[in-house]
Amino acid sequence: MLIHPNIEIRDLGLYLVKEKTLIISDIHIGYEESLNRQGILVPRVYFKEFLLRLSKMLNHVDRVVLNGDIKHEFAGMSSTEWQGSKELFEVITGKEIVVIKGNHDPMLPYVFTKTKIVPFLRLGNILIVHGDVVLKEENPDVIIIGHEHCAIGLKEGMRIERFKCFLKGKYNASTLIAMPSCNLATEGTDIARHERLSPYLQQNLNTFEVFIVSDQVYAFGKVKELQ
Amino acid sequence: MIQFKEKADSKKDVEGLLHPIVKQWFFSRFEEFSNPQLYGVTEVHARNNILVSASTGSGKTLTSFLAILNELVDCAEKGILQDKIYAVYISPLKALNRDVSLNLLEPLEEMEKQSGKKLGIRVAVRTGDTTATEKQKMLKTPPHILITTPESLALLLSSLKFSEHLKHVEWTIIDEIHSIADSKRGVHLSLSLERLQRLSQGMCRIGLSATVAPLEEVAKFLVGTERDCKIIDAQSMKKYELELLSPVEDFVTESYATIEKKTYELLDKLIHEHKTTLIFTNTRAGTERVVHHLKERFPHKYESLDEETKEKSDLIGAHHGSLSKEHRLMVENKLREGKMKAIVCSTSLELGIDIGYIDLVVCLGSPKSVARLLQRLGRSGHRLHDTVKGKILVQDRDDLVECAVMLKFAKEKKMDRIHIPTNCLDVLAQQLFGMALEEVWDVKDMYKAVKSAYCYRDLTKKDFEEVLDYLAGNFISLEERYIYARIWWNKEEGKVGKKGRMSRTIYMTNIGTIPDQQGVIVKDQRGNKIGMIDEAFLEKLTKGDIFVLGGNTYQFNFARGMVVQVIPMPGRKPTVPSWFSDRLPLSYDLANGIGNFRLFMEERFKRKQTKKEILTFIHEYLFVDSTAAEALYNYCKDQHDYIGMPTSKKLLIEHYRDDQMKNYVVFHALYGRRVNDVLSRAVAFAISRSQHKDVEIGINDNGFYISYDRHVDVPKAFSLVKSKELRKVIELAVDKSEILKRRFRHCAGRAFMILRTYGGIKRRVGKQQVSSMILLNAVRRISENFFILRETRREVLEDLMDYDSALEVLQHIEEKRIKLEEIQTFIPSPFALNLVMQGYSDILRLEDRQQFLQRMHQMVKAKIALKNK
Repeated sequence: MLIHPNIEIRDLGLYLVKEKTLIISDIHIGYEESLNRQGILVPRVYFKEFLLRLSKMLNHVDRVVLNGDIKHEFAGMSSTEWQGSKELFEVITGKEIVVIKGNHDPMLPYVFTKTKIVPFLRLGNILIVHGDVVLKEENPDVIIIGHEHCAIGLKEGMRIERFKCFLKGKYNASTLIAMPSCNLATEGTDIARHERLSPYLQQNLNTFEVFIVSDQVYAFGKVKELQ
Repeated sequence: MIQFKEKADSKKDVEGLLHPIVKQWFFSRFEEFSNPQLYGVTEVHARNNILVSASTGSGKTLTSFLAILNELVDCAEKGILQDKIYAVYISPLKALNRDVSLNLLEPLEEMEKQSGKKLGIRVAVRTGDTTATEKQKMLKTPPHILITTPESLALLLSSLKFSEHLKHVEWTIIDEIHSIADSKRGVHLSLSLERLQRLSQGMCRIGLSATVAPLEEVAKFLVGTERDCKIIDAQSMKKYELELLSPVEDFVTESYATIEKKTYELLDKLIHEHKTTLIFTNTRAGTERVVHHLKERFPHKYESLDEETKEKSDLIGAHHGSLSKEHRLMVENKLREGKMKAIVCSTSLELGIDIGYIDLVVCLGSPKSVARLLQRLGRSGHRLHDTVKGKILVQDRDDLVECAVMLKFAKEKKMDRIHIPTNCLDVLAQQLFGMALEEVWDVKDMYKAVKSAYCYRDLTKKDFEEVLDYLAGNFISLEERYIYARIWWNKEEGKVGKKGRMSRTIYMTNIGTIPDQQGVIVKDQRGNKIGMIDEAFLEKLTKGDIFVLGGNTYQFNFARGMVVQVIPMPGRKPTVPSWFSDRLPLSYDLANGIGNFRLFMEERFKRKQTKKEILTFIHEYLFVDSTAAEALYNYCKDQHDYIGMPTSKKLLIEHYRDDQMKNYVVFHALYGRRVNDVLSRAVAFAISRSQHKDVEIGINDNGFYISYDRHVDVPKAFSLVKSKELRKVIELAVDKSEILKRRFRHCAGRAFMILRTYGGIKRRVGKQQVSSMILLNAVRRISENFFILRETRREVLEDLMDYDSALEVLQHIEEKRIKLEEIQTFIPSPFALNLVMQGYSDILRLEDRQQFLQRMHQMVKAKIALKNK
């Protein structure tokens, strides 16, 4: 679904048509392992499922941008994370890969020694940045962030179902697009009910547009319509 | 074989067994043997399995211990007392354990004093509170009598060193067995007993029970499938003085405020006519409310002033599970010391410890089952020949009918049947793991040991092996299996053993079947505590939501940390259903009793009997005073004249439409809410499947309703629900429910798929619930029939709800033993109105996430389109 000139939602990723670039965000490889380490013996099915979905997102893609928090653990690199990263890179092999550093990624440069790791990426008038800190960049037209793990709860009576979503609104004069996470174990943060993490989203989100991602993309209008 | 012991032994027989020291002590304390003792002591002495059913205070505990103490004293005297555990005593309550230990140490001390000899008999308590030093001491020198809880017993069985001491146990006593047998704690214990029996083959089992039915089934639970057991039924010892009281003569014409005022006045009067009164309110919130009202309405009456210190102290206190342990202990102590005029509890004082002299028990509102009523009454006159004095204060007309029939059943000793859960696969997983920690097992032996427990008598090989497969990590691909595997299972050799360094620690720190509950405190704007709600429930609330707590409605304002602020909204209809309910469900058997009473009344109305004749019948049939009889007559007469009487043979289906043109179909199904939960969901499911509509449902003990906007044929849907397909239908109907999600957490915890404590860290309930959802979705991706998921469905249907009885109702309808009758009313019958106002509501939508999303999307699209017009 095209949500902005040149920018379309493709499953959990954003596709920049002109640049033939796919952006995905917050994969958190090793999340299931970290749950296991906390005594929640979740079978590791989610990451595998994500890789399958990713492999179907790669049509006409020349470049893949991993917008931060590729792995989950802050410190070190577990063997599962090694293995997971390897599997991820196998899926996107042959594409130009750009890794944007997230807050979970201090170890990244030591791990992905052969990959280009940048604090942000500017493609023409589009700025892609993880979103944990605000970047002082000269007025881009569009800012794309991850970090927040955007989701929204749809409520009816006692039923609340949370769905991964994209948000589109404004940050100063720029258009701001916030992405959902690519980790399938959880839906993410319900941006209408919980405090937001990203400094880009410390504002009233009422006029932000919601795009829910499920079997397809559903335009849900503005956040305030859902209250 | 299970058989009743019909004849007591003679006093001489029992006396003849006793060692002179024990005999001297016994008669220095008691004049004669109590009835249970005359039946039981010789059996214990002969190491026969027995189940003793007798009222509290009838010398039940001493029945079991007398022969044991006798043996130990005899051994001590002869100098052949060994350093081993002779007897294990298990009770569900730590407090009871403390009590029992004191009640053993005291006689032993007295015997030593009287005989002037040092006997050296050791008694020790082992629970979760036992310190490491004490544990070490016990390991080095085992007690002769070990007092413990079901959970600690399971731990000891898996402890390599300590289990050595459990190899020559001669007696195991299970106290309050009726209160354990109906839960997963009991299922867990039944397997521990098999494990213990394997270590101590000659051990006999002694069960101590309050009033419960059927005793045969509890006896089987006690001894398992292949052992004999004698049942000693010594229940009818106490004299009962039971009375039904109504605060007003007519519930219909009196206002709520008047009924409330009169209730408290009556309560106050009763309290002051007696020395110490114990009041049961059923709910925690009710407990707080009663204490608050009595203090406020009768200032100064419920506090005393110490003349010297000028300190005020309360003469009334609340006691329930949400109060701190310190507070409860304080209240219990004051009670025992006789410093309390009245104590108000939810259900928490039904069981257990000696609470001193109580001369009156009051049930405020129906106790919902006969067994529960008798259990409560048993708390008064805590001595053998005292008269039990109990009053039931009814709250409305339904309550009146219910309690009147209950009273009849109680006097006639017609007990409702206990439900013992079976084939619980989560508990099985935990216990098989524990067994593997003990030693390397032959799988065949393991299966046999499990099957000898009553709760697993029908366990299939397939289920058993699926659980073993889970424990061995076989549901996970090989390279990741090491994370999940707790045992190894060599299928060729048929052997099973423990695996992993952490296994033992994991087992030790996560054992048990009682799920963690974390309550959030609910307060009103003035800071008055109203009650507790579940942390997971809080997650679902948004500002403005109205929900039910303890029978009253409140509006959710906000939450800060672990405190929720609400505004009381009396009489408002809840906007969100409480999927948790701290209300006790009416027992199915009692419900049927009420249905029969209604049937007899209907017959008399149809025969055009005079009011006088019918009143005479009421007096013959029930034990009520003339005011109550009059009220009962009026209630039934109103009902009969208006829409006819729903009875045990007739299910009335009432249709009406409210002023907002909303349609209601009310099923006057008097089967208790556990049954109605199943029936209503099945009907709603049939509607959603055949007519593609979502409906709102509400249930209570006396029936359920279904409401909808238009064009739904509810009776047709009901006729589509067939007993043959009920299981399948209801499993689908609960599959997406909140309750299933919550219970999945509990089951996954018991099966150790969610470790509550891991790496020394205890996880909060809210976090457990979040992780449990991640787990549930992952498990569904593996298989919709993963055993924990299957067990969760079973627990919801069979333990939480009453699937079997619902099935029975449906079969009776199909066989036309229950007739269906439809009526259209313009004004809802009083009963229907009551149900619609009170019954919690749930919108039953059976659409899945995807369909839900699509429907919500359509709604939003329509809204936007409307705006842009």
